[in-house]
Amino acid sequence: MPPIRDKFTIHSKAVVCQDVELKGDITIGAGTIVHPKATIFAIAGPIVIGSGCIIEEATIIVNRRKEVMRIGDENLFEVGCRVECPSIGDHNTISARSRVHHTVRISNHCVIGVGCLVVPIEDEVLDDYTIVYGPGAERRKWSGRGKVQEADLRRKHADYLREMIPKFNRLRRGDGI
Amino acid sequence: MAPSVLYHCPCLSTSDIPPPPHLPSSSHSFHPLNTLFFCEECDAVRCNRCVSVEVSSYYCPNCLFEVPSASVRAEKNRCARNCFMCPNCRNTLAAVPADPESGDGRIPAGVAEGPYIMYCNYCRWDSAEIGITFEKPTGLAAQLQKYEDSAPDSLEFDRLKEHFDAFLRTSALAASTSGTHHHSTHHSHSLHTNSITAAASAALARDIPGVGKYNPLARSTTGRGYGKDRSVNKDEMTEYRSRSEIAQTAGAGGGEPDVELMNSLEEVGEVASLEQRWENSWVTPLQTKQLKPIRIPLHSKRSKRCPACTHILIKPEQKSQSVRYKIKLMAANYLPGIVIVLPHMRQLRDELSKRNLGKSVAAQVDEPPPGMVAGNTYEFQLNLTNPLYDPIEVRLSVQRVHVSTAPGGTAEKARRPPFAISLPTAKFPISPFAEAWEYEDDEDMFGVEDDELGIGMGSSLSASVRGGREKDGRARPKTVGVLERKANKTVVGGEVVIGKEAQGNVKFNMLVSYTYRSDDAEGGDLGVHPSKPEIRRFEFYTVVDLGPIISREEARMDL
Ligand SMILES: [Zn+2]
Ligand SMILES: [Zn+2]
Ligand SMILES: [Zn+2]
Ligand SMILES: [Zn+2]
Repeated sequence: MPPIRDKFTIHSKAVVCQDVELKGDITIGAGTIVHPKATIFAIAGPIVIGSGCIIEEATIIVNRRKEVMRIGDENLFEVGCRVECPSIGDHNTISARSRVHHTVRISNHCVIGVGCLVVPIEDEVLDDYTIVYGPGAERRKWSGRGKVQEADLRRKHADYLREMIPKFNRLRRGDGI
Repeated sequence: MAPSVLYHCPCLSTSDIPPPPHLPSSSHSFHPLNTLFFCEECDAVRCNRCVSVEVSSYYCPNCLFEVPSASVRAEKNRCARNCFMCPNCRNTLAAVPADPESGDGRIPAGVAEGPYIMYCNYCRWDSAEIGITFEKPTGLAAQLQKYEDSAPDSLEFDRLKEHFDAFLRTSALAASTSGTHHHSTHHSHSLHTNSITAAASAALARDIPGVGKYNPLARSTTGRGYGKDRSVNKDEMTEYRSRSEIAQTAGAGGGEPDVELMNSLEEVGEVASLEQRWENSWVTPLQTKQLKPIRIPLHSKRSKRCPACTHILIKPEQKSQSVRYKIKLMAANYLPGIVIVLPHMRQLRDELSKRNLGKSVAAQVDEPPPGMVAGNTYEFQLNLTNPLYDPIEVRLSVQRVHVSTAPGGTAEKARRPPFAISLPTAKFPISPFAEAWEYEDDEDMFGVEDDELGIGMGSSLSASVRGGREKDGRARPKTVGVLERKANKTVVGGEVVIGKEAQGNVKFNMLVSYTYRSDDAEGGDLGVHPSKPEIRRFEFYTVVDLGPIISREEARMDL
């Protein structure tokens, strides 16, 4: 395996803290916030993160596959979650200390509950509005009611972080810019 | 399991001497020190089994609203404000405005407008799934009251209540009028029961807000029944006719509808789980889509009284936000605390951590296997802590276990672990508890004379084993006796000799007796004592469990 070549493309409106571990070919979109102590590893293929995502402390995002790992817009990765999904849509919440394996693709408006393990042996796609919750990682379908409220809250959350984080952290800039 | 010391409360038997540790009744008589109370009036330990409990306040665990006890019954023991549990996952529900019908997906600035839905932040259940929305985000329980009151089961209960209420009233009336003609002792008894039934019927008759207008039918029929009832025999009840046939209520009790439902079932999630169903107090719906949000059950703060003198042992502050107590007589503030340390376990643990070094986390062993190998001798240490502001002198004695010689005694003997415990029999001091320590270099007691040591107990072990220990006991560093004194702690060493064929746990009863002197009333923690110096004595039993005995074969297999 050839050595991993680092290539970080960070949008000028993204907020990525200095104290973040990045490896490989990584693209971070506009308005996305990466808290300190997060880890993003593009071991094989590149990782492309969309806009308006919030990636909290101790989150680990890994791409072990050759193909591009695409993460959509306005996703929330809570403290200590570990995600290896080859693709993630928009408006998803990966809750604190949950774990999602590389066999799972996440669509839109899904929630992986606190501490849930989603580790199917065979490849699987979580449909839109799939909620995984509880100690047994049970699943149910969300009606979608309240999603506008939630999206609004997510945006306010991101706005606040974009304002506050640069006051207390040094930021990272992309290679090219 | 770690070695443990439990304290005796003699409330279960007439004798102050606890049952021997190998009897099943032993576990019911001993309790962890932190769960015990101490009554100063009776100078006795009280446990949760013998105290009398009374509720001092009710509150909602979610909104912390204190519910006056008068309305607890009317509100059916649940929060009557805004607190609901998710019927799906039992998380607390939040009231949120429903999403705007159209627009760019942004919430317009300004005041959010209804309708509102109840929304579970965890599993994303929402009340619109079962067709419930609200006009305003407050007083949700009141808005939902009509659903609750119009439920067939609730109506049935109200009707049943009224049916029995009539009977209770007439029988109470009859008893109070006939009671006056009886003998005085009988009279007082019937008066007592009367007051109870009267209270119960009064409570049952209490108006439940909003109920009346929803069951006019039920009210009118029982009204007629009541009139008839009075004219006939007072002790006889009219036959109760239920409002609805039980089988007709869907999901209540099996039958054809359930079979049909099961036949057309597509996903297992359509059927409510037992946990979800049991949360409901009335009907336990079979289908997930029938589950309704449930008002959160109230919690209570309770005070406890001594069963003998009815003095309060513990009393919480009234306010639901407060976690403090007005009165708190915990046994841990009166009796010395005892913690067991097994030096050989500590050694094992150290070795393990050395072996674990450099190993991956998964391969590491956290705890050494507990247990003592049969035929060996082990040390143990008792760390005693004095909670009093006065010095105490403690004497430990191991309760002798008599080996029964009666027929069948052999089986008994085989079950009982044969071991011998050595503990110092002389009394030893423990310094008082104080905020500032002045006793750091007080080492008078370090090194009690060996002849002060005694052998506490020999259960069924031969004297030769004991003799052997004593002989080489002098050559080795001292293990039995007071090992260390520091601040208000004293460490006492003991030794256990385990028989070759021993089985079970090394578990023995130990009597702890101590004397304390109270010189002045203010200085002493026990303020009830007079100001003249007085030596007082207290004793209590404990059961000490040092852990299981491993047979010699097992021990060899492990290595
Ligand atoms: Zn008791
Ligand atoms: Zn409440
Ligand atoms: Zn829920
Ligand atoms: Zn008492």
